[in-house]
Parts: sequence; C-alpha cells; structure tokens
Amino acid sequence: MEPIYIKATISSPEINFEPDNNVLRITGESYPENSFDFYAPVISWLKTSLQELPELTLDIAVTYMNSSSTKCTFDIMDILEDAHWRGVKTSIIWRYDRENERSYEMAEDFREEVLFPFEIEALDT
Amino acid sequence: MGQETRGMILQWSVSGSDHYDSTKGDDMNLYDLRDEFNKSGVMMCFNGPFCHSIIEEIGKAMRNHLAADNIAQASLMEVFAVYIELAQNVRNYLTLREITRPDVASSIITIGRRGEGYVVSSGNAVLNADVEMLCSRIDEVNAMTRDEIKIQYRKQMRCKVKPAALGAGLGFLDIAKRSTEKMTYSVRDLDTASKFFTLSAYI
Repeated sequence: MEPIYIKATISSPEINFEPDNNVLRITGESYPENSFDFYAPVISWLKTSLQELPELTLDIAVTYMNSSSTKCTFDIMDILEDAHWRGVKTSIIWRYDRENERSYEMAEDFREEVLFPFEIEALDT
Repeated sequence: MGQETRGMILQWSVSGSDHYDSTKGDDMNLYDLRDEFNKSGVMMCFNGPFCHSIIEEIGKAMRNHLAADNIAQASLMEVFAVYIELAQNVRNYLTLREITRPDVASSIITIGRRGEGYVVSSGNAVLNADVEMLCSRIDEVNAMTRDEIKIQYRKQMRCKVKPAALGAGLGFLDIAKRSTEKMTYSVRDLDTASKFFTLSAYI
C-alpha cells in the first residue's frame, strides 16, 4: 500500500497516514483555493487503501473548514461508511476546539451522519 | 503574483496607527475615503483583483486585528468563516465566468464593526445574465428558518458536485448558519454586460 503525506499550508491541513496503527490524520485548517482538487488524492488513496486495510481510524483535528472542505469531509466519511458495511473496522476521532462551541456543534452534526464509531474529543491546545 | 497583487490594503486600528500601502498616485484624496470608512465602521478593506494568496493574507491580518479587539475566539472564527465564504465565492465566480479584465475583475471586501457585532461585505462584477439567479438564491436562503438551513445544508452535502465546479453550493447556507441577521444585497449598473453586486453578512 502506498503511503500518503501532504504538507500543511496556511489554508490546507496536513494529511498523514501512520501505517503502524492504521491512522489517517488530517490536521490544521482547511480552506484551500480548490477543495475538490486538494482532497482528490486523499479520496482516491482512501478508496484504494480501504480495499486492503482491515481497519482505519480517521483522526481529524481541523479547527476551521470552509463549506467546500465540509463537503469533501462528508464524502470521505461516506467512503468510510461504505467500507464499514463491507466489514472494514472504520472509526473517527473528531477533535474540536474547546474555545469554539461551533466547532463542537459541527462535530455533532457530522456524527449524526454516520453509523460507525465516532468519538468527539477536545483538542489539546 | 504580479498583476494580481495590485490593489490596496487599508487597515485601521483603534489606536489610530494608520497603515496605508498603495501603488496608486499620490494625488488621491485619502482623507475622504478614510472618513467614509470610519463613519461606516470599516476596520479593514481590500480593493483590487484578488487571488487565493491575498485571501489568505487578509484573513491572517483580520484574525490578528480581531484578536486585538478582544473578541471571543468563537466569534472571531465566525467572522473569519463568513469572510472566507464571501471572498472565495467572489473569486470562484470570477474564475468560473472567466472575468479577468482588471477593471471588471477588481473586487472589494470590507470587514467592519456594526453595533455589538461585525459586518463583512463583498462587492464584485456579476454578469447581467447571472444577477437574477444570484438574487433569488440569496432570497431563498434568507427566507429559511435555522432548522431549514440545517436541513438544506445536510441535503446539499449529499448532492454530487458537478465536474469542474469550484464550490459545493453550500456557501450561502454556511454564511446564514453563522449570521445573526439576514444577508442584504444591492445591485448597481457597472457596464452594458455586468452589474456591481454588493453583499453583506452580519455576525
């Protein structure tokens, strides 16, 4: 399986897969010039990897995402949900900013969209 | 960056340490402009053709500025989020319609105080043919209750994005979710092919 790593910029998060524990981390803020272009390699990596991996945890610590990044995140969760129904052990840890109640609301909104394990944790700052 | 960075950034701070940077001529009367901004509560303004890196830079400056204004982190991020949606909306629209001639593509974005809250406004050229659809989309979102906005947001998230689309059709809903009042807009003639569209959101 190919590794995936994308360096963070001011408007796009770091993407990093840890093969030792099958964790895909998305960390930073997300409002790239073109969210669809930015997330396309992540989505295609996930589609391939979820054919091979027995489990995958998506660890999201994104304190701000613009509306198109929200859409891309939803698409990513949809792929995880599909894999879950095929028998892959998928889960999400969503880290919210405790100083921003909207960030917790958003986590809750996303949790309502999926039927696999979804934990909400405060981000350590 | 070249030509795209042309334009001007005007920034005011409460302490009165004015900062001005412009490539325009010296004979311009900035006093009136400054006076106008101060009267209407504008804290920051960008006018010119803008690209992604400018959107990032203004965003960064705005966050620093608001942080110094002792605004709660949650509100700061709401103002920032609305700014990003408006700015990227303008940028995506001009890209989609291939509006590149500097005098037409030149857009304006302002962030200001309004009562206890903030107002973020964008002004840009919109082709005549697109004005009606844009206005009716905003009217539609303005007419929604909080719950309807949430339902529409979830519905729209499930929609497939058209190939080559630059946005997910969530921008106005996202703004409405974060707003304390309805969005307002105004339309003025720009030239024979386009109108100048001003949109404001209140946080």
